[in-house]
Amino acid sequence: MEFNWSLMLASYGTVFTPGVLFIICVGVTAGIVIGSLPGLTATMGVALLVPLTFGRPPLESLSMLLGIYCGAMYGGSISAILIRTPGTPAAAATILEGYPMARRGEAGRAMAMALFASFFGGIVGALIMTFASPVVSSFALEFGPVEYFALAIFGLSVIVSISGRSLIKGMMAAFFGLLISSIGFDPISGFPRFTFGLMEMMEGPPFIPTLIGLFAVSEVFNEVQKTGQIKQLKANLNQYLPSWADIKYCFKHLCRSSFIGTFIGAIPGAGGDIAAFISYGQAKRTSKHPERFGHGEIEGLASSESANNACSGGAMIPLLSLGVPGDAVTAVLLGAFIIQGLQPGPMLYKEHIDIVYQIFASMMLAQFVMLFIGMAGIRLFAKVILVDRAILTPAIFVLSMVGAFAMRSNVFDVYTTLAFGILGYVMMRYDYPLSPILLALILGPMAEANLRRAMVISAGDPSILFSRPIAVVLMGLAVVSLALSIKSQKKVEARLAEMERTLEKETAS
Amino acid sequence: MKLKSMLVGVAALVAGAFSVSAMAAYPDKPVTVICPWTAGGGTDVLLRALSKAAEKHLGQTINVVNQTGGAGAIGHNAIRAARPDGYTVGMITFELNSLPPQGLVPFTWKDFDPLMRINSDPAALTVRKDAPYSTVRGFMDYAKEHPGEITIGNSAPGSVWHIAAGLAAEKTGVQVKHVPFDGAQPAVTSLVGGHIKAVAVSVAEVRGQVQAGNLKILGVMSADRDKIFPDVPTFKEQGVDVQFYTWRGLAVPKGVPANIKAKISDAYKKAFDSPEFQEFAAKASLNLAYQNAADFTKFLDQNYKDVEAVMKSLGLAKK
Repeated sequence: MEFNWSLMLASYGTVFTPGVLFIICVGVTAGIVIGSLPGLTATMGVALLVPLTFGRPPLESLSMLLGIYCGAMYGGSISAILIRTPGTPAAAATILEGYPMARRGEAGRAMAMALFASFFGGIVGALIMTFASPVVSSFALEFGPVEYFALAIFGLSVIVSISGRSLIKGMMAAFFGLLISSIGFDPISGFPRFTFGLMEMMEGPPFIPTLIGLFAVSEVFNEVQKTGQIKQLKANLNQYLPSWADIKYCFKHLCRSSFIGTFIGAIPGAGGDIAAFISYGQAKRTSKHPERFGHGEIEGLASSESANNACSGGAMIPLLSLGVPGDAVTAVLLGAFIIQGLQPGPMLYKEHIDIVYQIFASMMLAQFVMLFIGMAGIRLFAKVILVDRAILTPAIFVLSMVGAFAMRSNVFDVYTTLAFGILGYVMMRYDYPLSPILLALILGPMAEANLRRAMVISAGDPSILFSRPIAVVLMGLAVVSLALSIKSQKKVEARLAEMERTLEKETAS
Repeated sequence: MKLKSMLVGVAALVAGAFSVSAMAAYPDKPVTVICPWTAGGGTDVLLRALSKAAEKHLGQTINVVNQTGGAGAIGHNAIRAARPDGYTVGMITFELNSLPPQGLVPFTWKDFDPLMRINSDPAALTVRKDAPYSTVRGFMDYAKEHPGEITIGNSAPGSVWHIAAGLAAEKTGVQVKHVPFDGAQPAVTSLVGGHIKAVAVSVAEVRGQVQAGNLKILGVMSADRDKIFPDVPTFKEQGVDVQFYTWRGLAVPKGVPANIKAKISDAYKKAFDSPEFQEFAAKASLNLAYQNAADFTKFLDQNYKDVEAVMKSLGLAKK
């Protein structure tokens, strides 16, 4: 597939018309709003708006949906930073650094970096998608059950990096997550496990309600406990873009995470949530200040946000060139393409190469639109944090409950959210990290189902796990990353202990 | 005083008139349609396209609500348990007949009032383009010569395509390994990547990869050949008498008044016949197979017995 420069320029011309630009703006704005609301994910946003595109010309419809996709990926970070509620699962890793930053009065700085990192990641993703689709997509097809299992194991090695102070407590949280991820249908035999006969439990703990409960509701309880004692948060909101110093400081992580995000996005079935966590772990391992992670380190925020936005470009790669969706959103987009009478895959390149290039162009433009709309909205969004906590906290609680219910209109999910809210609160009180549970819930089923699938294929012979090069490399990386993380964890512990000693000395004298 | 009592009288009259019209004129508020599968999936897209076309015939907004989970059990249960006033309609799918034999749900299709069947898609056996066989027989012979080598992907354990593949293997007496995936799409991807040997999913789900020249269809498990791929013979033509379909239809909870049921059916039938829906179905390569309520009921009864029998013989049903 020869790259066609003149066609690319022509397609930018087609997309750069008032009508299409307007549609992209509408899509991005809708996406940011959908993404920032808990319970409404990028997948749902795109799915709900697909029917609006029936009977519209392909370019208009698809650029609107792409706008929603990109906008929602960024939108998730807004509520993650400001109210500790991941608007989308992909923003869960953003909470780890974004929320502590906001608490420290740096909401403006965090928001500006999240926007810039999203933009940067989106651009890298769109560039790789434009220039390297055929190469990347052939790599994506190499992923079978064995490779997915190895990828999940590699992802799980990040747990050390998100364990906070105590590795033991992090492991306890992770194993609890793995344990509850085994609730529901057995992935191979279909036998319902630990469901207590409840239909709602058949597919395991519902993910979004669990996420909202663990992070948002637990924080609500935490705030309620401190009513009357807490100071109103201050926030410096005069920033639209991160300072040059911040960009320079994070540049290495921005680049690396954008590449990681694009490649993980290109692997079918692995999406923004996994990409964000893996990049975050990577950033912590290679950072000069790993001890600052978890306390509002801008490097961590930059890497998770750039990774999840780069993921959208990555996920489009197998969709366009193979007709295989790269994540849940592109699976819905596949349907939208077909309704337009376009079958993504090699035939699309042969028959509608103009559409392919127009999609490249609108994906790229959507990033710029996202940057401008994000900049225009940043002060408006960030004002949320200045609202009196006595009003904001109950509002977050209501929003969380509605978000939990909205996912599949089921009251059971509201109870799940409450239960995990209480659990999260108790865990926070006793200093247990919450994100290992989440990572285990994302990767546990992936590891289990693919290991089992591999075992069915090999008729129970475990040597299949070491028979494939990509899988062996990934598992090797998992071991290396585990060793490095444990080493860096020791460094973190030593530095924190040292800091505490100096603090004690100062207070004593 | 006189004025006041007059006003009260007028108010009572108006209220009375309204309540009468409420009873007479269904529908006077938006109608909800329950989809037991995720937003953006095949069932959802079909239901949304159909409901959009039905809105103008019904004269009210139709809201599609996704109540998912439990392999379709939750949505089907929600349809069954809804208030039978005609304001809740639902789309029922094949799983309504495969969940009860597994002992996963406490209801069957008999707890619903079927309105119409919309589509019915046969399973197809699809392999990689470079595979050394190009007929169903050839595939089965290869499987016999290479025991333990053939893996057939399907969309979920106990799913329609798992049953279809099991039935085909049973009829031909070959040993294959069934590999359940998380939906048809990942199974097809895995086949394109060469991680499994075949998939048994619908024609619509493999169409793109077949047209792209990555995969080839060996046979379809239907009575007639497929409209999009008329060159592909049926299983029966190749001497393997297997027919297996998935289906989707509309139903309401038991107890909806007959005149209201007629109104819903009428609106949806008109929507079904509308050119925009027909065009949508052609693009999405859906095998439309309309049946009215009476025929659909007969079909459901027979389908339930067939599915239960197959699942028992495959060991998928609850003992």
